Amino acid sequence: MSSENIPGAAPSLSRLVQELNRLPGIGPKSAQRLAYYIIRLPDDEAYALADAVTSVKQNIVFCADCQNLTDASPCPICADPRRDRSILCVVEDPLDVLAMERTRSYRGLYHVLHGVISPINGIGPDQLRLKELFNRLAEPELTELVVATNPTLEGEATAMYIRRHQSREDLRITHLARGLPVGGSLEYSDETTLTRAFQGRQEL
Amino acid sequence: MAPPKTYRCEAIILGYSPLGEADLLVTMYAREQGKIRAVGKGARRSTSKLVGHLEPLTVVRMSMVNGRSMDIISQAEVVESFAALKEDLTAISKGLYLSELVDGFGSEDIANPPLFQLMIQTLRAVQADSASDMPLRAFEFHLLQVSGLMPELYHCVECRQELEPNAHRFSPNVGGTLCLECNPDDAHLRPLSLRALKVLRLFDRSSIAEACKLSIDDGLADELKSLLSTTVGYWLGKEIRSNSFLERLHKESLPEVYI
Ligand SMILES: [Zn+2]
Ligand SMILES: [Zn+2]
Repeated sequence: MSSENIPGAAPSLSRLVQELNRLPGIGPKSAQRLAYYIIRLPDDEAYALADAVTSVKQNIVFCADCQNLTDASPCPICADPRRDRSILCVVEDPLDVLAMERTRSYRGLYHVLHGVISPINGIGPDQLRLKELFNRLAEPELTELVVATNPTLEGEATAMYIRRHQSREDLRITHLARGLPVGGSLEYSDETTLTRAFQGRQEL
Repeated sequence: MAPPKTYRCEAIILGYSPLGEADLLVTMYAREQGKIRAVGKGARRSTSKLVGHLEPLTVVRMSMVNGRSMDIISQAEVVESFAALKEDLTAISKGLYLSELVDGFGSEDIANPPLFQLMIQTLRAVQADSASDMPLRAFEFHLLQVSGLMPELYHCVECRQELEPNAHRFSPNVGGTLCLECNPDDAHLRPLSLRALKVLRLFDRSSIAEACKLSIDDGLADELKSLLSTTVGYWLGKEIRSNSFLERLHKESLPEVYI
């Protein structure tokens, strides 16, 4: 939307609305609401927000090992001597690392691809951090690769591509169990999920 | 106020993109309705009853509600999941190539049941033999046919003479085959071997499944691929993006294993 779209609004306000409107999931209405909210913020809070945006752009780099976003490379997880270096978990994006860390049940390392292979959107292996992954697989300490891409068609295709292109025969390659979500129901499950949940059944 | 209108449809999912916090904007091709873009509310939550039903290359029966700007998917039930196809990277990449073409050639609000059927039949052929490129070639040919862009294969498009059993030339621009006598000024003009012409005529007479039984040598396969993908690309008017991944897999041609 252009600044002319807000009749009577000051140009600096229109510019803020316009920038907010670019954010994913923020429509023109939400952008206006957020802009008016920011205007009413105390000065220090508004400047803290602006400063956070500036600082994230100035300081965030990709971790040279796991490719996650970090203030300093290697990132805190890669630098932590207590992490188990024999196991590497591949995820689509940095939010997936946060989700896995919240479980507190995984103590290995990560690798962030920053997307999945998406042929229709023109995203191929070269647009992802796959070369960096294949380089890391040569690490002799590494014994297991957990491919934790999402169980979507493109996530699975990316997992298959990784499986196809890694050359270490002694590497155990696993993926996360497919099955019923907690709070889900059999009745509404699709047949692929049900089939895989059945295959993955466990002793009661 | 009248209650919102609801309808049922059977469609093949072509693709989707995230919308807002937890919704999906789904593109599908429906048998009776043509191309539809609809919203799956909350479909990205793992507990949504829509989750797993809206993956690309899945045939789904749906209940839809007319929304203000876009229709809303209220229920979805999988009719054909193409589960085996989805365990094979080459087959997936071929399926996505078909999706991109159906998305490009299909129009919203114009029903074209033969295009829907063509997509399903070709996916079945790809699932049955993912190594063969014949399903893609037959698909490209029939895609032109069901889109009203069927190339002329029996008479010269310029002089209307019946074509002799000979090498000829072909151009998507003028609508098909030309005899060697006619020489229009056309940048898209290309040679067409008699063997390739015969395969195109066979495509014209055969179903996808029948066409896929045909086995041809690499030289002829390359000629048909170049001819048909150029013609489809010409009518699409833009690059077929999924083609580059397909080409890449073809070049790498490593044995495949599913984890
Ligand atoms: Zn790191
Ligand atoms: Zn002629």
